This record gives sequence, structure tokens and C-alpha cells, in this order.
Amino acid sequence: MTRDGMSLRLLAIATCAVMVTSVTGCAAGEALLGIHEAPTAKADAAPLTVDQAKRILTRSFTAARVAETTSGAAGKAALRTAYTGEGLRGAVARVRLASVRPAATSSPLLVPRPKLLAVSRGFGFPRFIVAQTQASEGGVPILHLLTSPDAATPYRISASVEMVPPAQVDPFDPPGKGSPLVTGGAGLAVAPAKLLSLYAARMAFPVREVPKPPFAADSFSAQVRAGAAGVAKAVTSQAVFTQTHKVLPGSVYAVRQVAGDALVFGVIERTDTFALKKGQSVNTASNKAFALLTGKKKVTRAASLTTLEFVVLAVPRSKGQATLVAATEQIVAGSGS
Amino acid sequence: MGIVLVVVGSWIVVKLGPAGEAQFRATAKAPGSVVVASEVLNSMDVPVRVTATRRDGGAVRLAVAPSPDARAILASSAAATVRAVHYPAGTMDLRASGAGALADSSTADVWRLVDEGAGSAALVVDQGRGPETAVVTSGDATALTDLTLTLVWANRAWFFEALLLATIGAVIAVFAFSDLWQGRTIAVLGAGAETTTPDVRT
Repeated sequence: MTRDGMSLRLLAIATCAVMVTSVTGCAAGEALLGIHEAPTAKADAAPLTVDQAKRILTRSFTAARVAETTSGAAGKAALRTAYTGEGLRGAVARVRLASVRPAATSSPLLVPRPKLLAVSRGFGFPRFIVAQTQASEGGVPILHLLTSPDAATPYRISASVEMVPPAQVDPFDPPGKGSPLVTGGAGLAVAPAKLLSLYAARMAFPVREVPKPPFAADSFSAQVRAGAAGVAKAVTSQAVFTQTHKVLPGSVYAVRQVAGDALVFGVIERTDTFALKKGQSVNTASNKAFALLTGKKKVTRAASLTTLEFVVLAVPRSKGQATLVAATEQIVAGSGS
Repeated sequence: MGIVLVVVGSWIVVKLGPAGEAQFRATAKAPGSVVVASEVLNSMDVPVRVTATRRDGGAVRLAVAPSPDARAILASSAAATVRAVHYPAGTMDLRASGAGALADSSTADVWRLVDEGAGSAALVVDQGRGPETAVVTSGDATALTDLTLTLVWANRAWFFEALLLATIGAVIAVFAFSDLWQGRTIAVLGAGAETTTPDVRT
């Protein structure tokens, strides 16, 4: 073999050795570290950890307390941090009407340490957190629904609803596992949207009968109906009174529970309308909430009050009637002419 | 084979060190957020320490979220994404995508872990909740450019496994050399015997 041939052969051997060592080194190195493919997203996992959910609750309820106890721009900013949607609408009105309301009913949220009941399951939107608070000195527990419509928007309180004794909340799946949002009526005695629609219709005045209602009679709707009948009777000489109830779009959230039942949150907008009879004039100064909301102390043609009714119903999984678990109402607007 | 294992094993032993740290580093020069995809963040079964350092000393925000949520937040904004790591080279592949600035996502609740700091931020991301994505953004109004990202996985067992690899390679090499040497000796002796045969007379 010539000297040049020998050099070429040695070069080829060295090149092969370097290549083999490099390839083997990379493969052996990655095998040694155990590098593997990333896991795939689980559709049945909770998107939040329990710690995250508790931090969100702490932030939201801290802001809610600040909003209830602070006036001016700071109070308004705290309201927007704590609440969203109809919850914000109700909270803004509650703060606005605080001066004409009894102190005991003004701050149901001044309770520390909310109890985490459920968080949503899966990575779809909207997402929710269900929590409960109870005043240490007694009082009825309050159920809270916090929602997030998309990845960029933080969770905020959509509804805070006082429980109706002796109602109880059946358990949800553990927060670490998450609870599914029920979008239709599959597996339930009645679809959540239909349930709330019929529940709202049943409270209308003049009375509208709902045959075979899928819900049991309860004290809240009975009070609303009795109140409407009383008002109509009281104003009959001066005005014609009507009351409508409409489920607000996007307000219905149904959360599946461990046993297969569902807890349904919804917001119903109640409109009380007074059509004054010809020649009538009503002094409304005694209704401080109406005067504050409308700035009017006298109406001669018509008046209306808008109230949000936050309700929570428990829907059984197969048959039977839904039952009211919680209900709260809040006047939010008024008009008069 | 033995020599290759010795070389590879020794190389990895030196790279890992006694602490068993596998370190990867890359620098993103283009403006925009820097993203560590789940293909990298969740590619090993031990916690990873992610460190982001800005050359200009500005504020850095490092956050980790489930990958579907991180994708929704990032949308089509400009980002340099770490898609693969190479070991033992210690390098990472960065791929640029998107355009436009990322909207403020600091108030979003999707972030499981967050760290903010002046000049740098660091997080230890545990495994088991993947797929997750780490997102590095500017913590102030200035654009994020010239950011060095370091990922470190540590497992002392790796050091000893690499040491074992080199040792096995050395043993194989010794046996192979010994075998070759003995074979050569026999061949030489055999050749010597053949050359002396014609001199034997009966």
C-alpha cells in the first residue's frame, strides 16, 4: 500500500469513528436521560390545581369585601375585579343602594375563608368554580359561582346566592378531579335551560299556569307570586300591575355532581311594570330604592323596576322534580315617567 | 464498540458532573415571547429548572400553564419556541413564529406557576401535570429581546449510569484487545511454525 493510500484509509477510519461516536453519543445520552414524548392533554383533568382555585377565591372575595366597604374609584375597581356579568350588575346595584337598605342585608360577602366545592373539568370554556361561605355568627350559607369565559380572562363572581333552609348541596367530584359542566339535558330529569325557563314562567303575574312543573313548590317563588298579587291589589285603583320573568342568556350553568345529579345556577330578570290609569299621579318618594335609581319622586304615566333573581336548583339524574337550593334577589334598575 | 462506549460514557460523565445535571441553553434575539413547548418541558420524568435572563436587565416574567391554555393566550403573537433539545451537545432548537405583540396575560388564571424578576426569573417545573408550556414575556413595557434561556434537569443516578456505561465500555475494550492480542500471538506463532516445517527432516 502506498503512503497516500494509507493516509486516506486512516482518515476514513477516523471519520467513521467520530461519526459512530457522535451518533452513539447522542442516542446514548438521550436514552440515558430518558427523553420521551410529551404526555397528551387529558380531557377529564381539572385545568386548575386546588391551590390555584383557593388563590382565586381569596383574591375574588378580598376584592368583593373591598368593594363593599370602599367608595369612589377604588371601590369601583374592586367591584370589577371581583364580579362579572349579572353578578357585577347585582353588586353595583347593591353598593349603590346600600344607603337605603338595612345594614344586615348589605354585605353577605364579608365572610373570610370561602369553602371550595367544585372546579370545572377539561380545558373547554367557559370554566367555573363553585364555593360556599357561611357567616361565623350563623346565618344562611351562600353559594357562589365564579366563571371564566376564556383563557385570558380571570375568574370572577357571577352569582352569590343565599341558600334556602333546609336545602343542602350534594357532593361534587373532588376539586382535584374537576366536575363536568352539563351542557344539555342528557342524564337529567329535565334540561337545565328548560327547567329555568319553566320556573321563570311560573312566577309571572298575571298568573300563568305551568302544567306538570318539573320543579317542586318552594318558598321563594311562592313569596314572589304572593308579593306580586299583593302589589297588584294595592295599586289597583291607580295602576295596572304586571310582572314578567325572563331567564338571562348565558347565565345558566349546570354542574354535574358525584351521584349524577346536577346543581343548576341561573339568573332571572324580573320586571315589575306599573301602567298608571288616566289622571293618576303617584308619589314615589317613600320607595327610596326607586327614587335613588330613577331620581324621580313622582310618576304620572308608568313606572318599572328591574330585579335580578339569582336561583340555584338541584336537578335529579333520572326522574323526580328539581328542588330550589338557593335564591337571592337584587333590584338593579328602575324607570318612571 | 468498547472504545465507543468508553468515549461516549466519559463524555456524558464529564457533561453531567457529579450532580447529574443535564443543561441546555439557547439565546433568542428576535423580539417576542419565548416559549418552551411541552415536547421539551415534559420530555423527562424529573423536575426541570427554567431560567430566563435578559441581557438588558429589564423585567422578566416566566409562567407555566397547561399547553392548551398557553396556546390560546399566545394565539398568533410573535414567539420563539423551543421544540427540541440535543444531548450531550446541550443545545436547543428555537423556531420563530407569529407576528405582533402578546396582549397582557398577567391577570389570566391559567398560569400554574409564575415568577417575575429584574433581569432574570426562574422556576422549577415539576412533572405529572403535563402537557404544560412555559412562556417568557417582558415584565415591563420594553420589548423582550436577547433573552438567554437555560433548562436544567438534575438526577444523580444519570451520573452513575454514565459512569457504568464507560466502565462497561472499558471492560469490553480490554477483553477485545486481549482477544485480539492473543489471536495475533497465535497467528504469529502459527506463521513461525509453518516457516520452520521445511527444515524438519525424517
